Amino acid sequence: MTLFRKNAEALPAVNEFNQAVKPVSLWADAWRRLRKNLMALAGLFIVIFYTLISVAAPLLPLFPYEEQVLDHQNLPPSTKPAGEVLLHQKQEYMKKVLAADSRTEMTDDEKAQMASLEAEIKSNPIHQRHYYFGTDSLGRDMLARIIYGGRISILIGIVGTITSVLLGVILGAIAGYAGGGIDNFIMRFVDIMYGLPYMLLVIIMMALFGRNIINLFVAIALVSWLTIARVVRGQIISLKNSEFIEAARSMGAGSGRIIFRHLIPNSLGVLIVYSTLLFPSFIMSESFLSFLGLGVSAPLASWGSLVSDGVKTMEQYPWQLLVPAVVMTVFLFAINFLGDGLRDALDPQSKNRV
Amino acid sequence: MARFIVRRFLSLIPTLFIIITLSFIIIRVAPGGPFSSEKNIPEAIMNNILKKYHMDEPFLQQYLRYMGDVLHGDLGPSYRYVDHDVNFLISHALPVSMLLGTISMLVAVILGILVGIVSSLRQNSWVDYTAMSVAVIGISIPLFVIGPVIMWFFAMRLQWLPTSGWIDSRRGWVTIIMPVITLSFTYFAYIARLSRASILEVLRSDYIRTARAKGLKQSTVVVKHVLKGALLPVVSYLGPAFAGILTGSVVVEQVFLVPGVGRIFIQAALNRDYTLIMGEVIVYSLILVVLNFAVDIIYGFLDPRISYK
Repeated sequence: MTLFRKNAEALPAVNEFNQAVKPVSLWADAWRRLRKNLMALAGLFIVIFYTLISVAAPLLPLFPYEEQVLDHQNLPPSTKPAGEVLLHQKQEYMKKVLAADSRTEMTDDEKAQMASLEAEIKSNPIHQRHYYFGTDSLGRDMLARIIYGGRISILIGIVGTITSVLLGVILGAIAGYAGGGIDNFIMRFVDIMYGLPYMLLVIIMMALFGRNIINLFVAIALVSWLTIARVVRGQIISLKNSEFIEAARSMGAGSGRIIFRHLIPNSLGVLIVYSTLLFPSFIMSESFLSFLGLGVSAPLASWGSLVSDGVKTMEQYPWQLLVPAVVMTVFLFAINFLGDGLRDALDPQSKNRV
Repeated sequence: MARFIVRRFLSLIPTLFIIITLSFIIIRVAPGGPFSSEKNIPEAIMNNILKKYHMDEPFLQQYLRYMGDVLHGDLGPSYRYVDHDVNFLISHALPVSMLLGTISMLVAVILGILVGIVSSLRQNSWVDYTAMSVAVIGISIPLFVIGPVIMWFFAMRLQWLPTSGWIDSRRGWVTIIMPVITLSFTYFAYIARLSRASILEVLRSDYIRTARAKGLKQSTVVVKHVLKGALLPVVSYLGPAFAGILTGSVVVEQVFLVPGVGRIFIQAALNRDYTLIMGEVIVYSLILVVLNFAVDIIYGFLDPRISYK
């Protein structure tokens, strides 16, 4: 007789009345709760929508995001083709000129100007372009820039979250499991890092080491694993003396196996909750730096740099500020609601719900 | 308690030391220098410039010299603003930033707690829903979006407020309104949500029921019993809030052209003005570290359950 059967046949689960019950996993349970939360669900769909658009951006019929059409500078958002918008602008302008001079007829010169503009618009296919979100001060399509900017922002969010979760989990798990001197050393280090005005250090690093995505990413990721490390360490300390760990150890499992197969999977719920908080904070940090002109540099765009460009021209062309601001805000809203929903779903007893 | 304060205070020194050393290393390790953008300087002149600022010395000697100067309260000459030293630049900009930061923090804390109290006492009323929707806006939207958008709306569309600048004799204090709104909004939102959640939790506890059963007035129950317990999470949030307002003020000063330390900071970093960057880092860290220390002490006074070992 073997004590531990390798492939134990699953016995059907029954309740006290001998009726078959379906086991509900943590995830099924969480999903059931999440589905009831309408705001979180809406958030989930918006996040999926943004992600799909970002992933599929090269396949979408967009104008190149870095292409400058100098005839099309500062066009307002419109569903009409660019030519019509241009013509309309010119007509409005002429009306104002006529009103200012109190004339009713255009001079021949002005008529010729109008005619040549019309002819140009008819002959050049570029004027058939539609700019649904308008153009920026260099005649670049705002829609394409916002989508490609979103790609960068979301990418930094995802990669940053993954790196800092990995770093935080590994260091936190080691500290929590090993205890003693190692724990002390790692946690002291974390404490000191917490005390640093880290955003300022990131600003210095970006300014001194050059502005590119890799530096940006390293600078932010260096400091964002701290909270995860603390949380994981706490979880592991509270779990490492529980019976199932003792059982695993008594069967001869090594430290590595206990950490990675037993302790970390049991802290996953909390980890996911913290990751949903990290993700928007990465996007915010990236945009914050790009806004200060220390993030991605032109012709690349991110939401932060688009908002920052929009600020310069907001007096005359407010859409250049408002459109990226709204797009970014909707996404951050969605992430926030999704994060709140996930927290409630995965950790229903959470006491420190904010 | 006294021992705790002293010990906690002494622990500030290594933290500050580490921050200063780390920044010094980061700044010196980075490629380029404060004078690398000067065009075509003969080598002899360049050497003289470097010599004047002691940049020809070995790294360790520069570091020790700098640390010695800092301990004497001298932050050195600015490498870029030739006529000014760092002490002068910072001492002129710091009061502006301090004023902006203090007012924003006060607005965030006072308004946040008030809104938290009202919406928890009127849970699920329209007041609660409105307040919490506003709070969600504050938490989701970064301040560099809020700032420009309210500037566009209130200063450019409605023309109610001046677009930018700082308090002067002509315009008075109106210039401070938008920077303060922008800077305090996020932290107001967090504090409102935090205090609402924790007041709701305290309201359900037994000792509040006892207080009510004794026949105390609602106002006495709230002020004397609920708030004392419920504000602890708010106090522990103050540390991160201070840090956030400190970094946030960099953006706000940039957007609203406020002549504070935040505005010099970015320019100093881009100019590689070593001493000015270091000076800014020292000032910022000092403020942050001291404020965190104060928060810890306040926390200790408020929560008798904490033991100091």
